Amino acid sequence: SVTEIRSGFTAIKANIQARDPIRTLSILSYPHSLHKVKSSDRCCITHHLFNFYVDKVFKHCKTEDSYVNRKISSIANSFLSVKRKLGQCHEQNKCTCGQESTEKFKQILVNYEGLNVTSAAIKSLGELDILLDWLEKSR
Amino acid sequence: DALLPAPQNISILSTNMKHFLTWSPVIVQGETVRYSVEFQGEYEREYANESWIPICECSVITATVCNITEDISATVAYNLRVRADVGARRSEWGTLKGFFNRITTSLTPPLMKVIADGYHLLVELEDMGPAFQFCVLYWKKGQESRMQQKVVKEVSSVIHLDAMEAGPDYCVKAQTYVEAINRSSSFSQTQCVRAQGNSQSVWL
Amino acid sequence: SGELYCSLPNPRNVHFESVNMKNVLHWSAPEGTGDGVVYKVKYSVYGVGKWIRKPECRNINRTWCDLSSETSDHEEQYYASVKAFLNGMCSDWTETTRFNPLTDTKIGPPMVSVSSTEKSISIILTAPEKWKRSPEEESISLLQVYPGLRYNVSVLNKKTKKRWWFSVSNTTLVVPSLEPGTAYCVSAQIYVTTPFLQSVFSEEYCIATLKDKTA
Repeated sequence: SVTEIRSGFTAIKANIQARDPIRTLSILSYPHSLHKVKSSDRCCITHHLFNFYVDKVFKHCKTEDSYVNRKISSIANSFLSVKRKLGQCHEQNKCTCGQESTEKFKQILVNYEGLNVTSAAIKSLGELDILLDWLEKSR
Repeated sequence: DALLPAPQNISILSTNMKHFLTWSPVIVQGETVRYSVEFQGEYEREYANESWIPICECSVITATVCNITEDISATVAYNLRVRADVGARRSEWGTLKGFFNRITTSLTPPLMKVIADGYHLLVELEDMGPAFQFCVLYWKKGQESRMQQKVVKEVSSVIHLDAMEAGPDYCVKAQTYVEAINRSSSFSQTQCVRAQGNSQSVWL
Repeated sequence: SGELYCSLPNPRNVHFESVNMKNVLHWSAPEGTGDGVVYKVKYSVYGVGKWIRKPECRNINRTWCDLSSETSDHEEQYYASVKAFLNGMCSDWTETTRFNPLTDTKIGPPMVSVSSTEKSISIILTAPEKWKRSPEEESISLLQVYPGLRYNVSVLNKKTKKRWWFSVSNTTLVVPSLEPGTAYCVSAQIYVTTPFLQSVFSEEYCIATLKDKTA
């Protein structure tokens, strides 16, 4: 559940964010904050973002710290569980993608590919609270 | 050196979202056998080259039980394995037969104590951890059709349910609910009290 | 950048202290430096390219700087940084960790007001407001910021010494069927489940139910 993802992330937030020295770029917030996404596009963006984290991010976040790795595994498996549920909504067409959300998600991929894969993955993981804050606000 | 046998009878004990891996001891005369446990979630199987993750609290331990609750923190299918070490000798991995998904945990009814304090109906519930909410049902005896419900998310000692009229018995029962697996326990036994009398039911 | 020779030890423990989103940067003086140290402060919005100097915190000798105004958008995240100067020497810039006002603030206890009748007490709970620049500015209750905000209320019967707990989300709680002429003490706490935030308990507000006129 999102609560469990939040507590897993809180446990490693300082550790992960300390590994990201780039202050001047954000994967999720550049150029516009997630909070600017229209409510009608929320389901589609959420669906895309969960796929993004599962498919692209977590596998490149292995660290030398076993405790951090276990928490990342916990978050990744929780994401997989939520991604499945969101996938069902998407298949039943309850999660349509508008122009704006498609553009927003493309921008996130551009931000991601603008960095080397490990830096991009660690930065994305460090921005999980941006995603969670946005998810919880719109719940 | 004869090959060390892999641990056998590997199984899970899971009650109220507390999950334990257990196995039979590997017997080597005159030697201390130590065990190490690893887990693999569905994510690791499908997206991370079927990698395994060690549980450091259960690395080179002599016990034949490991608390895996912290690591089984998503509602997906997990693989678990154990191996034995004696000195430089190491066994193959013994792997749990089938997957473990926490959705199968057994949920027991909550310990509950119903209290009548003057005209007030109160309930004391056992704190079972952050994953648990409680659904408390209460009604005037004989008026089961007019049952009322209170969902308790934060257990803090004596919880106020309602004010009571003098005279009739008021009955209460409770069940746990775990949002993460969307399942509830069965109901506790019903306990009834009456206003004004200082009768208190005992923990059941 | 024309800075002086930077061999001064760095300011230590640079961090935000935040209550109800009043976000104040705090730090400790560099190790081994006595009086005479002055500081400069800058901050940046995470993901935006530039550091911004805080003029009101330029060449200050205190070890805090109120950045509430600069960090008031709680949908953004921030870094702040401090540099020390002493006798022509300077330190490096020393940064905070990433500051997220939404999750890293502490929530103050709710305001509690209590009234009574002969057989009941009424409790009105008010969540604190988010910090604002001036009294004229529109108030934002933390209830708006944290939609899942709830109250834990404790009611203590001073005669029987028994304490009851209520968990409510609305702001008014009436406790009926009480004993006339009895003192009850109420205190309350705010809690948010996700992100997990919990205030301290408010002071205790005691009130007595009116005496039974018929007695």
